[in-house]
Amino acid sequence: MPVARGLFGTSVLLDVPAKNDTAMVEVHQLHKWYKSVHAVCGVSFTLGEGEVVGLLGHNGAGKSTTIRMMTGYAAPDLGHVTIDGIDVAEDRVRATRTLGYLPESTPLYSEMPAEDYISFRARLCDVPRRDRATRVARVVEQCWLKDVRRRRIGALSKGYKQRVGLAAALVHEPRVLILDEPTSGLDPAQVRETRELIKGLSQRRTVLISSHVLPEVEQLCSRVIIFAGGKVRADGSMATLLGTGNRTYYVETRDADDATLKLLTDRWRSIPGLEQVRGDGLTREPAPALARHRGNWRTWQLDFAPLDAAPHDALFSADPREAIAHAAMTSGIVIRELRSQTRSLEQLFMRILESSAEDRA
Amino acid sequence: MTTVSTHASVGAKIGIWSGAFSGTWTIARRELASYLRTPSGWIIIVLFLLLTSTVFALSALAPGRPATMRSFFEACGWLLLPLAPAVSMRLIAEEARAGSLETLMTSPLGSMALTLGKLLGACLFLLVMVLPTLVLPAVLWTLSDPAPDVGPIIAGYFSLLLLGLLYLSVGLVASAATTNATLAFIATLFLVLTLLLMGTLGRQLPAPWQQLCFAIALPPRLNDFAKGVIDTRHIVYFVSLSALCWTFAASLLGWKRWRER
Repeated sequence: MPVARGLFGTSVLLDVPAKNDTAMVEVHQLHKWYKSVHAVCGVSFTLGEGEVVGLLGHNGAGKSTTIRMMTGYAAPDLGHVTIDGIDVAEDRVRATRTLGYLPESTPLYSEMPAEDYISFRARLCDVPRRDRATRVARVVEQCWLKDVRRRRIGALSKGYKQRVGLAAALVHEPRVLILDEPTSGLDPAQVRETRELIKGLSQRRTVLISSHVLPEVEQLCSRVIIFAGGKVRADGSMATLLGTGNRTYYVETRDADDATLKLLTDRWRSIPGLEQVRGDGLTREPAPALARHRGNWRTWQLDFAPLDAAPHDALFSADPREAIAHAAMTSGIVIRELRSQTRSLEQLFMRILESSAEDRA
Repeated sequence: MTTVSTHASVGAKIGIWSGAFSGTWTIARRELASYLRTPSGWIIIVLFLLLTSTVFALSALAPGRPATMRSFFEACGWLLLPLAPAVSMRLIAEEARAGSLETLMTSPLGSMALTLGKLLGACLFLLVMVLPTLVLPAVLWTLSDPAPDVGPIIAGYFSLLLLGLLYLSVGLVASAATTNATLAFIATLFLVLTLLLMGTLGRQLPAPWQQLCFAIALPPRLNDFAKGVIDTRHIVYFVSLSALCWTFAASLLGWKRWRER
């Protein structure tokens, strides 16, 4: 069951289970120190089969270090990572066979033709000789590299280089794909193409995308993990995270006499967790401008307590829309619109960064 | 439960033995191709052939001179001194600087396999560089009367390859220790010169150190090869020292996993 604790307070951890029961990647209590700096402090999360997860965080938040420990490039000081059940520290070579990784800088060999490089990576990943040509041709096609496959990598544009890196990460058909800033430095058209490509890839494998571009994460990922100060500050599905702590609902109802409106607001106030009703019967609403457009319609703003501060009540529901609508219906008032105010990922991210900074202070 | 990953052996933890050597040949082939795809590789080959051929022509083909390739092999030995570090300096350092080491070290490939592949690739390049000089003994054979002694020529080529292997192995360690290729070049040159001058240095030291320096020194072994003597002790010396360097380079890479950010 998702549990939200202190979303805008000390830390946020929505312990949302993976999409599928099978955990493809398990990161358990990772710690990494650089001299006196505790760069990664007890990071834990799991990635389920077929999940597309975004990793967010400011520079120096510990994202890249965590990714490097996941891929076996850096060794954790404490904790462990398993990929498809294999401990990376115990058997890095076997663990990385199921892993495709695109590092942030997309390092490639500029003197090699694109196709030769992809074939080189296929050989490194032990793709059988009989399948190699087919696999290389497939990823060349998949990453739209057909026209440039014989060209030297050094002569390619940044967008094409990114695609070569992606194709090379995919050539051994990994079940887990880790992409560190996959669209960094690309022009808008290339960003769009790369996003489309990642969308296509994510249908068949577990994907972890580290990015600074929040709309990108919103578009591509079903779940997001937010890092700050070397810790996981938020982990949950996009819908849950954006809904949590953001329990404001707008209701548009038909106008009624004061007694009926009083009845309505009293019924709303009896919904567990409701803190405030604005635009109630005490003030004549709507404003003249609104009235002109909306006739006898009235808008209300219902503010609920955040989930972590909500009362422990048997009737409490994380989603009070049904109760709001029911109260209006039993009061004999027609509802024209009922919507929750959506918070952007950027707002959530900034709030988490602020609370993290306050914690550290 | 917080787990400290100490149950794996240290070797397994740093990943130096893992993965056997499946990717070694792939790395070696790419390494060789990278030398041959860039102008610098061809410049090194042309320079080497030009200088050694000139030495051969002036020493072995001069009228009245004995039909021997001794001067040629001596010249090759001196030429390897700057050329081998030039070849080895970028083996790991350049990969680390460019960031491609991250790709290699996150592939299913152990550090031992990776460093062996790198060393093998550099040795293959050395072989490509030396191979055309086989024309020279053929020329000597055709022009000289009586025919030259084959023993010193075979021993000379053998010593050239062993010397190249040792220089490249030392260079591999230097390249694994830094991300700066120039620094790797200077360090290799310094280490190789130390090996060459060990005998001279040893004479200035007290008895036990003197023995050690003489045991490690290179020149006496090269002199034996020049005489046409292929002594197994010398082969063991070159191969074991090279293997030690290779293992050390792989351990350095494994150790870097702890330092890596």
